[in-house]
Amino acid sequence: MPFDAKDDRPDEALLALYAKGDRGAAHVLAQRFTPIALRVAQRMLGDAAEAEDVAQEAMLRLWRMAPGWQPGAARVSTWLYRVVANLCTDRLRKRRWVPLDAAPEPEDGAPGVAERMIEADRAAALEQALSALPDRQRQAVILRHLEGLSNPEIAEVMEVGVEAVESLVARGKRGLVAALSGRRAELGYEHG
Amino acid sequence: MADKDLGEHDLDLFFAAARDRAPEPSGALMARVLDAAEAEARPATRDLPTPAPVRRGMIASLMSAIGGWIGVGGLATAVGAGVWIGVAGLADPVTVTGDLFGPAPLTVELMPGADSFTVAGGTGW
Repeated sequence: MPFDAKDDRPDEALLALYAKGDRGAAHVLAQRFTPIALRVAQRMLGDAAEAEDVAQEAMLRLWRMAPGWQPGAARVSTWLYRVVANLCTDRLRKRRWVPLDAAPEPEDGAPGVAERMIEADRAAALEQALSALPDRQRQAVILRHLEGLSNPEIAEVMEVGVEAVESLVARGKRGLVAALSGRRAELGYEHG
Repeated sequence: MADKDLGEHDLDLFFAAARDRAPEPSGALMARVLDAAEAEARPATRDLPTPAPVRRGMIASLMSAIGGWIGVGGLATAVGAGVWIGVAGLADPVTVTGDLFGPAPLTVELMPGADSFTVAGGTGW
């Protein structure tokens, strides 16, 4: 367990301490936020190396932002989610994505396929299905169902209304269902 | 076909699997992040060195008192003009003005009849 995993000082207090030159506060913040940045980036981008670059850049921006942080303006985690999302969006725009419409149509097959997939396969399949979603839907689903943020928090991160978040999550989940259902044959679970 | 698609519960299983297999930052990434934190950190307040007092020489103080190099330029010009006037041996500074700016200025009467009004005002208005 990391040496500072039990540090329960608020994020804002640690940021203020770092801004005053407290190196120990930087260690706690790094342990607290680098995993978040990496998780979101990797799920958004589907690429470990790129995700590391994004996480590193996001943390660098956190250090630089620290002296000017306005207490009470926003939560540090919300700010970081937004920075990571924006960095990922910039990278995604440079890629060519297969639109969701091009994903294979759901195929007929035996029910209960999810129960027969081992966990690693499920995680990998979900990652692939996420990558086929439009960027905003993917971001909303990741923040809601993998990071556990509430809809109002996601709305703040994505700078949209709560209703828009609900719509993005719902459409994203429908897209995931369609993509994962359509992969049953490919994954060898059609006849079970 | 809906009954053959994945349901909400099935999707939750996928989400749970993905959460359990979340990527963790490598030691190298953490080291880079902390290096950046160190590079961007301000020195601790108690470690800030006290700035040394600035010492200025006598010439620098004099220069500052008369307005720096601009003041020195103006002073040099004035001294030069004084020396020239002295060397030229001019008896009357008015001569200098005349030499520099020409003869006495012309008088232009803008209201030639103004005196008539003055006279009229003084005689019964």
